[in-house]
Amino acid sequence: MSETPDSTPPAHAGDSSVEVLDEALPAPNGAYPRPHGFSGVWPPEVIEEIQEKASLGRYQIRGQATKRAGLPSFDDLVFVPAGLSRMPLEGYREKCDTRVVIGEGNCERPLVLERPIMIAGMSFGALSVYAKRALGMAASRCGISTCTGEGGMHHEERRYSDKLVMQYLPSRYGMNPYDLKKADMIEIGCGQGAKPGTGGVLLGLKMSDEVAEMRDLPEGVDQRSPCRHPDWMGADDLYMKLEEIREVTGYQVPISIKVGAARIANDVRIAAKAGVDAIVFDGMEGGTAASPTIQLDHAGIPTIAAVAEAAESLAEMGRKDTMKIIVGGGIRNGADAAKCIALGADVVYLGTAPIIAMGCHKPIYLEDYARLGTSPYECQHCHTGLCPVGITTQLPKLMERLDVDEAADAVTNYLNALTMEIQLFARACGKNRVSDLDPNDLRALTHDVAMMTGVDMVGLGGRTPWWKKF
Amino acid sequence: MAASNSLTIDCAGRPTRAINDEIRRAADEGVPVVELLNPQARHNLGVSVLKPIHVVYRGHVGSYAAGLCDGITAEIHGTAGWGVADNLMNGEVVVYGNAATSAAPSIRGGRVVVRGDAGPRSGMILKKGELIVGGNAGYMSGFMMQNGRMVVCGDADTGLGDSMYQGVIFLGGKARELGSGLHEVDAENGELDEVGALLDRFEIKAPKSFRKLRSDQKLWHFNKHDFAAWKDVL
Repeated sequence: MSETPDSTPPAHAGDSSVEVLDEALPAPNGAYPRPHGFSGVWPPEVIEEIQEKASLGRYQIRGQATKRAGLPSFDDLVFVPAGLSRMPLEGYREKCDTRVVIGEGNCERPLVLERPIMIAGMSFGALSVYAKRALGMAASRCGISTCTGEGGMHHEERRYSDKLVMQYLPSRYGMNPYDLKKADMIEIGCGQGAKPGTGGVLLGLKMSDEVAEMRDLPEGVDQRSPCRHPDWMGADDLYMKLEEIREVTGYQVPISIKVGAARIANDVRIAAKAGVDAIVFDGMEGGTAASPTIQLDHAGIPTIAAVAEAAESLAEMGRKDTMKIIVGGGIRNGADAAKCIALGADVVYLGTAPIIAMGCHKPIYLEDYARLGTSPYECQHCHTGLCPVGITTQLPKLMERLDVDEAADAVTNYLNALTMEIQLFARACGKNRVSDLDPNDLRALTHDVAMMTGVDMVGLGGRTPWWKKF
Repeated sequence: MAASNSLTIDCAGRPTRAINDEIRRAADEGVPVVELLNPQARHNLGVSVLKPIHVVYRGHVGSYAAGLCDGITAEIHGTAGWGVADNLMNGEVVVYGNAATSAAPSIRGGRVVVRGDAGPRSGMILKKGELIVGGNAGYMSGFMMQNGRMVVCGDADTGLGDSMYQGVIFLGGKARELGSGLHEVDAENGELDEVGALLDRFEIKAPKSFRKLRSDQKLWHFNKHDFAAWKDVL
């Protein structure tokens, strides 16, 4: 799928010197036309979108995440820290445990995370091998995991990641029993928040010889991955598939299952019944290297709604203590992460944020952003393979722009800051373990978020107004 | 100590994990043949055996028999459940009966032979290697094949070879419908003889003739002028 329109407009297009106009309209007198305002139904971006589709003959594709504004978000929640009714912990001194263990009691080598954070699945192919290496270095320093994503396990990623999760996806690109045995957790991928219900997309410019060889695909092809597994369909099959994977790994490592947040309550029930060690999901704010734009904006549910729904479902299944909830999709800072944990997540899953930390959107190589028709802070051109800062590309000249050591340092710093922010809220709420944060530590700023999370509204909460009592 | 020539495991009443451990241990020790009695359509028998050994299943097997193996040979004297020889890396697995849905999914090498019929989605995302079906193949067989060869001696249901990237399908019977992007080409010299010899080897009756089918590669890149093909696959 080339992003370049494959037809050229007729030669007369844009020619305004048509005689009939000269006759019908007065000559321009230099006066500035009175502004009429943009249509609310047909604003410039909608007109532009329609005209781009008219040229391309297909849906638009782009990277990063939905551009929708106004989705319910973690900003609609606030913490209610300690006061007189409970005591806070010393913010800079007292210990606040951040460790999370996945698969404890269910496998020989549970995955121990020193912080409630994991780097989300991003493939070699979507990212350059240097970006993968930098993520591995940073994650290892922080005692957390990285994830292979769709393209198979790259030896560089295994080398630099102390804890590596291998995704087992419908496409089975690069899948083999040897790499499964090398993984520290297996994540059975069934969807992602950016495009739930569809498979992956990797456009031809990113299908380098090495990426193609790992995926058993022709070099330069526009890859469209299957959206469902080739050999299992429903809940009962999943149970058998889990047993097969556990046989391969010798029951050594935990297994999680990942979905895009949509029908999350039922998905959690099925995953819990099948016996996975964790469910992973990202909300509709989740990132991607390439997705149909319309899918990004109109499919799936927001992360904040999904967390509450999933936590309730898991508690109903009686597996709250034996199965972890790992949540991604638009987590930007320690406040988002801590609120997510308070609502019921055990771990937050970060993809876009670490990529931004290493330089995505950085205002350098401005001329190359311009050649892509974009600029820093609004780029979202990961799908083209022409990443100006050298992260989401397979072109050697662009890849060299990413300094691996600097990128690893930047991601480490960001993860450290994020961890401190999470602990800040936990300590302020009087908790010496981050995992002890709960919905009572939160209040909702909007009725919508109070409804979807069950968190009390600020001020009134669930109480009767005082003037009705006296 | 020289390895014994064969090992017999009675699966009845034994946990799957213990059976598989025993097969793997036998392979490690160089035992050439292991015979599984009373498989009783159990799932995941003979999974992840990574050293050469010949596994004989004496009866029906459930899902993922011989899944994620490398370098083994196996014969299944019965019907195979879903995903037989899943992700085989190398080796040869022969099913003497029929195979359910998704035979040989995503195999990356070796050969899977189903002497009877194979269910839907057989050979889906086949990457390398070969799937031979002596009878008919269900719908969407060969879906998104990435390479390798599939031989169907009987008929194929709808969507045969839909959205294939590379590889070839030899079809002996009729296809209810060819999948998007599939077209017929002439067989190369000697190709049909090679297929015929393989069928003889597995005692599968060859059809009178074969059609050779492969991707026309129009789906490799989007072209709005091919919308008729793309509307089903975008």
